[in-house]
Amino acid sequence: MDELKIRAELRRWVVERSGMEKSRVLDDETRILEKGILSSLDVVELVLFIESLRGSEVDTEEIDPDVFSSINSLYKAFF
Amino acid sequence: MHQGGRDFLSSEPVSVEDAPSAVERGSHQVLPVAPHQAMNHPDRIDTGPLAPRLTKASRKFFWNVYDYIEWPESIDGATWYMAPELISIYGTEKWESLDQRARTQLSLSELGNFFSLTLQGERPLVQGLVHRLYLKSTDPEVTEYLHHFVDEENKHMVMFGEFCNRYIGKVYAEKKLAFGREYAKGEEEVAFFCKVLVVEELGDYYNVAMQEDERIQPLAARINWIHHRDEARHMAFGRRFLQSLAERWLAEWSPETTQGFQAWLAQYLRSSWSDFYNPMMYKDAGLDDPYGIRTLALDHPLCREHRTRVSRKLIDYFISVGLLSGEPQL
Repeated sequence: MDELKIRAELRRWVVERSGMEKSRVLDDETRILEKGILSSLDVVELVLFIESLRGSEVDTEEIDPDVFSSINSLYKAFF
Repeated sequence: MHQGGRDFLSSEPVSVEDAPSAVERGSHQVLPVAPHQAMNHPDRIDTGPLAPRLTKASRKFFWNVYDYIEWPESIDGATWYMAPELISIYGTEKWESLDQRARTQLSLSELGNFFSLTLQGERPLVQGLVHRLYLKSTDPEVTEYLHHFVDEENKHMVMFGEFCNRYIGKVYAEKKLAFGREYAKGEEEVAFFCKVLVVEELGDYYNVAMQEDERIQPLAARINWIHHRDEARHMAFGRRFLQSLAERWLAEWSPETTQGFQAWLAQYLRSSWSDFYNPMMYKDAGLDDPYGIRTLALDHPLCREHRTRVSRKLIDYFISVGLLSGEPQL
């Protein structure tokens, strides 16, 4: 899966999970947690979704919580 | 095998009343509370006679995790470890497609995941309980019981860790991450004891269902029995303590804080249930498309029914004390 496709999949997942209107565009710099689009409890599901996209397990012990800030930071940290 | 004077396969329900007198306990005396310690603190929760009773019961059932269980070198892969009805995909099309060998193999991975998520839930629990020891806001009799609570949880982690490392080759990782957030006064305390109760009540349903199940591999059944025996006391304490906390703080919180808390708790319950559908355990059991299986099971009506059934007592409790406003979607 190429970068554009992965970013699109991440945006789609966040929008669906948050219950945002699907017509609303999520910018790759939008602060997902700060703006309350996702909660900290959603992050577990997001980690599992990232694992399914990249095909390998994510070691959460080694993760800085800041990587969950935006689509950009997610892409840079996990792909 | 040391049985601590009881046959684990004929276990009786453990009553918190079932505690010896001080004379029967010999040197295990419950110390009287010194007058200076009994000074009241505005945030102190009084559990009445419950904490000393639980302390007595914990001392009566005190056990050594290092000589209480015999660990076989290897275990038989062709038997049940998790009861089939408790397996996360039970009743789904995926379950129906598996042969007996694949089902028993999955049952071992499922038990490993169940023990792991209990262990992972007990880690922050112990951390939080230790933090509360000897605080001015903690009743001295509660501190005394918390020492046993911590001791027993530590033993459980040793026991679950040993099983998982020996027979699964690992403890399944915790996926939850800690994010700082702002709390209203009392909210963090109530949230902590809610988390305690969630990990213990959900786990206990499984322990009780498996502890005397003759289909289950005997060591697996024994570990479930041991855990339930201690958890019965922990849950009695947790329910009573949380009820007092809820009465105290719900009266002070704004409607917005209360609604926010109730929404968080509903989401926390859902999140806790999702841990039972770990893609890594499906992968370790040799199943293809582990993430797809997880999604299938989480969305399957039979699995939803199972989650609601297992959570019934806990949800009713949370509603009765005002921490949930209604039935959460699980």
